[in-house]
Amino acid sequence: MNRRVAVTGVGVVAPGGIGIPQFWDLLSNGRTATRRISLFDPVGLRSQIAAECDFEPSAHGLDHETTQRCDRYVQFALVAATEAVRDAELDLERTDPWRAGASLGSAVGGTTRLEHDYVLVSANGARWDVDERRAEPSLHRAFTPSTLASAVAEEFGVHGPVQTVSTGCTSGLDAVGYAYHSISEGRVDVCLAGAADSPISPITMACFDAIKATSPNNDDAAHASRPFDAHRDGFVMGEGAAVLVLEELEHARARGARAYCEIAGYATYGNAYHMTGLTKEGLEMSRAIDGALAQARLDGRDIDYVNAHGSGTKQNDRHETAAVKRSLGEHAYATPMSSIKSMVGHSLGAIGSIEVAACVLALSHQVIPPTANYETPDPECDLDYVPRVARERSLRHVLSVGSGFGGFQSAVVLTGPEGRRQ
Amino acid sequence: MSSQSRRRNAVVTGLGVVTPHGIGTDVFWKTVKEGGSSLAPVGKEGCEHLPLRIAGEVRDFDADALIEGTFLVQTDRFTHFAMAAAQLALNDAGFGRADIDSPYSVGVFTAASSGGGEFGQRELQKLWGQGPRHVGPYQSIAWFYAASTGQISIRNGFKGPCGVVAGDEAGGLDALAHATQAVRRGTDTVVVGATEAPLAPYSIVCQLAYPELSRSDDPQRAYRPFTTAACGFVPAEGGAMLVVEEERAARERGAEPRATVTGHGATFTGASRWEDSRAGLARAISTALAEADCRPEDVDVVFADALGVPEADQAEALALTDALGPHARRVPVTAPKTGTGRAYCAAPVLDVATAVLAMEYGVIPPTPNVFDTCHHIDLVVGRARPTELRTALVLSRGLMGFNSALVLRQGSVPSPE
Amino acid sequence: MTDQVDHQVTIEDLAELMKRSAGVSVDPLILEEEAGSGWDTFGLDSLGLLGIVAELEKRHGTGLPEQMERCTTPEEFLAVVNGALAKGA
Repeated sequence: MNRRVAVTGVGVVAPGGIGIPQFWDLLSNGRTATRRISLFDPVGLRSQIAAECDFEPSAHGLDHETTQRCDRYVQFALVAATEAVRDAELDLERTDPWRAGASLGSAVGGTTRLEHDYVLVSANGARWDVDERRAEPSLHRAFTPSTLASAVAEEFGVHGPVQTVSTGCTSGLDAVGYAYHSISEGRVDVCLAGAADSPISPITMACFDAIKATSPNNDDAAHASRPFDAHRDGFVMGEGAAVLVLEELEHARARGARAYCEIAGYATYGNAYHMTGLTKEGLEMSRAIDGALAQARLDGRDIDYVNAHGSGTKQNDRHETAAVKRSLGEHAYATPMSSIKSMVGHSLGAIGSIEVAACVLALSHQVIPPTANYETPDPECDLDYVPRVARERSLRHVLSVGSGFGGFQSAVVLTGPEGRRQ
Repeated sequence: MSSQSRRRNAVVTGLGVVTPHGIGTDVFWKTVKEGGSSLAPVGKEGCEHLPLRIAGEVRDFDADALIEGTFLVQTDRFTHFAMAAAQLALNDAGFGRADIDSPYSVGVFTAASSGGGEFGQRELQKLWGQGPRHVGPYQSIAWFYAASTGQISIRNGFKGPCGVVAGDEAGGLDALAHATQAVRRGTDTVVVGATEAPLAPYSIVCQLAYPELSRSDDPQRAYRPFTTAACGFVPAEGGAMLVVEEERAARERGAEPRATVTGHGATFTGASRWEDSRAGLARAISTALAEADCRPEDVDVVFADALGVPEADQAEALALTDALGPHARRVPVTAPKTGTGRAYCAAPVLDVATAVLAMEYGVIPPTPNVFDTCHHIDLVVGRARPTELRTALVLSRGLMGFNSALVLRQGSVPSPE
Repeated sequence: MTDQVDHQVTIEDLAELMKRSAGVSVDPLILEEEAGSGWDTFGLDSLGLLGIVAELEKRHGTGLPEQMERCTTPEEFLAVVNGALAKGA
């Protein structure tokens, strides 16, 4: 079975842009949402900056009970999913609930709440034999990452296969990829696919400090995320969520739904190299790109835009540039490639889905979001990174790639109405 | 499923287990077959005062002897278990480096629910007790749920499709489904399974809010599903990894298929809504049987989820009736996990390993610590039951509302034309 | 702080740090003999090196130059660290 998979709804909670109109406004204007951390006092950290969401749960329809029960990252997902379902004009009560699924990704799950309660039960890190009486009643939900998919599925009455995907920083791409498989292979007809993370907490900032992966450019937070620039010095932490409504194409047509585009191919491979390190050659990412292209029955030359992982670390951007060149050949030089992490930071597991959402919007508007802050070319990164200003362009097929701790290399191909094969 | 994907059968060729009963299938099976129990008072440092009294701990696990120092320092106990179990499974399958056609033909898929809790607690203590500069470089790769897949891939050079589902219990069966699908799509071999190590003090504190957790202090009475004395489940550590291969690829390197993963079904019916899990589990079973081309009466044994919560046990017994009809009263049902405890995602994977062994030995292992049942099912208690087994149904439900069913056939299954 | 000798990191110290911070077992004599070889000869990766630098910073109560993480051999590493410590970095 090889059924076609349409994107019929999108919802996003991103720094500087909660909701699709605000998110696209930020991206298409090349604004950045990176700033000094306000969610906690970052004094003492090497990297004290992040892209934060100004998120007021009640303004997005979340009641007190939900806010108490659900961690911040789950709240993000609920808001994004609500927007996506509304955008798709999907009435799940009119769909067979056993044929509706959910596939939600998160790299670190409830870490922020786990840390919060840890501080209480350990008396500020003083005791190993923690005092359980100080824990909050919903702590088990933070401990169990399947809470994410469970909360979303429950909210929308989904009864088919539901899963939380946790492949580090490719979680958001893989969650979409797994959902794509579940529809194309016939297990479900509709799937809420996306990802959420809210990792801006002392332990997560400190653990990336320890490996110097995050940018220490605390004095110029707005310009700290500089993917592909010669002066890039690490990624800037982010947070957020995106959820897509994926639907079997005939299912969407039968209910008269608008299809933004199709998910045309997906592949993932491990690099079996290093938990955090990447090779200069990018062989495994190239393999994932080739796999996704083959599934989409496309050639590298068909790609009109590459939405990069572009984290802004020295090794990532070099690795990824090499991988894209390997898969697209000479065509890579003629293909715009940009990183929205320059604007919304790197929200770990969430970003892959936020980037797929950006691709959906790029296809819809026929506009490529830029790489903000890109000033100085790096000889090792010699492609067209769409510096600072969004670009109008005819887009038929776009590629989104991701790379994650643990060696995960993933790629998704999206095909817009202009490029739809018949 | 298309006829094209049908031609690629996913067969089990190797098992590796790290359990409270012991390490490796020989010692594990010996205790399982005898209906032995390894539940005991929690003995971990820093846990003595906590209101969780009984757990299934893995004792005598010598990580230093099984895993290289460079991997040990950067990984949590749950990943130590996963790496050890993966190696045991590869050895069991006779799968060596020479058997790798291309590194891209071997993938890794794990499920994880509790992550690197002990490692994480140590680093949190350094951060909050001493300051951010005391957090080590490995926290970023030890605590997160993807650690085991990444490390197994790196240690063995496996570059095929790699993935992780962070499900609760049912996620273990979902991981096996992912592996099976990967094989059907074209990957030759997947090392798949789950291990958990949720017994560090803070990890235990996180679980105390589960209403389903047993707080009994008697190892013989703490986990007794399907009885009137059911009082919740006992958590455990450990788990299992399997080698799943495309049948022809396995045969070409001289390995015999030990079992075939033929069907899977998954549904969701809401967190802790156990009555609703009846319909969800029944639907999952029916989906799995349909995919496996099995009739209800083909099922020779059921490995139950056996949560140990009265409403949940009732829902499971009724789900069997809903899905299997009259056969539900005849088919033997067992829950060897009452002797090990439930290691979250790893619990159903261990059941799958047990099911493979049970089919090979022609013996249904009993349900330890359970002597009778208040439900209309044929629960195997007391002594192991010798019988020919060709088809096993493994069930699992997660505390957050997931229901999964997996169908295994003994040996290989001829593909329908 | 006492005299300068206490500030020096010896090959034995380095071997001990490699074991403790990175899980790399190496005989100090062999480490000394092959001090000009790359870290990968001994199985030490970039994260391990970062851990060793962090541990030294804690022990000596001082920050060390970023350059240390780019040292490719034990020999170079010891020269840089001891140079920095001698200067009271």
